[in-house]
Amino acid sequence: MMLSYFQRLIEILPFFLKGLKMTVAVAGLGLIIGTLFGFLLGILRASDKKWLTWPIGVYVALIRGTPFIVQIFIIFFILPDWGVQLDAFPAAILAMSILGAAFICEIVAGGVKAVDRGQWEAATSSGLNIIQKLRFVIVPQAMQTILPPLVGQYVLLIKDSSVVSVIGVMELTRVGWLTVVRIPEGLMVFSLVGVLYFAISYPLILLSNRMERKMSLGQVRL
Amino acid sequence: MIKFEGVHKWFGKLHVLNDINLHVTSGEVVVICGPSGSGKSTLIRCVNRLEKFQKGKLWVDDVPLHDHGVNLTQLRAEISFVFQQFHLYPHMTALQNVILAPVNVRKMNKAEAADLGRETLTRVDMADKFDSYPAQLSGGQQQRVAIARGLAMSPKIMLFDEPTSALDPEMIGEVLDVMVQLADEGMTMCVVTHEMGFARQVAHRVIFMDEGELVETGQPDSFFDNPQTERAAQFISKILTH
Ligand SMILES: Nc1ncnc2c1ncn2[C@@H]1O[C@H](COP(=O)(O)OP(=O)(O)O)[C@@H](O)[C@H]1O
Ligand SMILES: [Mg+2]
Repeated sequence: MMLSYFQRLIEILPFFLKGLKMTVAVAGLGLIIGTLFGFLLGILRASDKKWLTWPIGVYVALIRGTPFIVQIFIIFFILPDWGVQLDAFPAAILAMSILGAAFICEIVAGGVKAVDRGQWEAATSSGLNIIQKLRFVIVPQAMQTILPPLVGQYVLLIKDSSVVSVIGVMELTRVGWLTVVRIPEGLMVFSLVGVLYFAISYPLILLSNRMERKMSLGQVRL
Repeated sequence: MIKFEGVHKWFGKLHVLNDINLHVTSGEVVVICGPSGSGKSTLIRCVNRLEKFQKGKLWVDDVPLHDHGVNLTQLRAEISFVFQQFHLYPHMTALQNVILAPVNVRKMNKAEAADLGRETLTRVDMADKFDSYPAQLSGGQQQRVAIARGLAMSPKIMLFDEPTSALDPEMIGEVLDVMVQLADEGMTMCVVTHEMGFARQVAHRVIFMDEGELVETGQPDSFFDNPQTERAAQFISKILTH
């Protein structure tokens, strides 16, 4: 009995590892692109130009205020009506990027706004241009506020990536669904899914906690 | 070097600079004083365009700031500003603070800039603190690093906004000493301060502001001992009694 249980586990494991790889690919690419755009939008959102902050605010509110599953459906099923036909994998990455950028934008904007105005003034006075000011003075300081919630957000986004299973991307959650209808060991299947998500998330949770502790002690130096 | 001609500035409805006319020549040290809220900070912040003004003309080093299309970063590289609250970059060492602009604005190479940085920090008597972070320095030391940061750009003009007001009394002297030394070397300086001793020692002119107006200007000794306007007299009696 036990033996066959483990045999089954060994049997399905390769399939799950493939799913894990896909989850890492979708979440990883989505997070990288989402982070790039999140920083760009976040920095713009922290400016005092209404014509810049307002449209970004609308975008963020729309994305944060609607279920991720609806966003994916729109990208995968509705965009083709407008002439943009995407396969499941690129559609999933696009959806993850749009979602990630919205949340990360808010975190980054908060961090940039938390930097003392005097830092901007000192950097401006010394003749640095806007890119130099951001790169050498503002962003390094904002990172202290940004990093802990950013890593926490990564964990949430990785878990949200399970939603892309609905458009047929063969990631961890979908692998779980497909397996559970074939074999009787339902608990084992979803425990395995859970354990594999946890294996990605937990190091990030540890990292986030550590950074939070360090930030509160003011020890982090970038 | 700096020439205000009929400059007006409003913050919303608040008229913070009211018809400012002022000419500061090269090498001149001008002390600006006046009650809190009278527009002193705003006045000197116009000089490096940290603040805009709505009306009038202002030339700085022959650059017309009232014109559109002035290259502001280029202008600011020639003018150093020292803040009341220092505003050192907290994530950088003293030396890194000092060489950031020389490396990135003046495009000096790193080794050359580091030499310049150490030399400049030595000038403000901070030779033993090159690698200290701002949080590890006293207020007086931080302000001297901030002055070195300005000096390292070899500016044509240095602006000081109450550079000693945030300092414990025992640290004021060390900062003023550095400023006196700069004045003696011929630096063009506009200094917002109520340090009368400093004004008497090095200022060529004292300017008194009240409610956005430039009310009185005079030689330091005659201004402090024999003010011409009622408002200035009242102000001087106040700073004398506390
Ligand atoms: N950014 C600002 N927005 C609105 N009002 C301001 C701003 N900065 C300064 N003021 C106002 O302008 C007036 C002059 O300020 P300031 O130049 O700082 O005076 P001082 O340096 O002489 O104390 C004050 O009434 C102040 O409240
Ligand atoms: Mg002031």
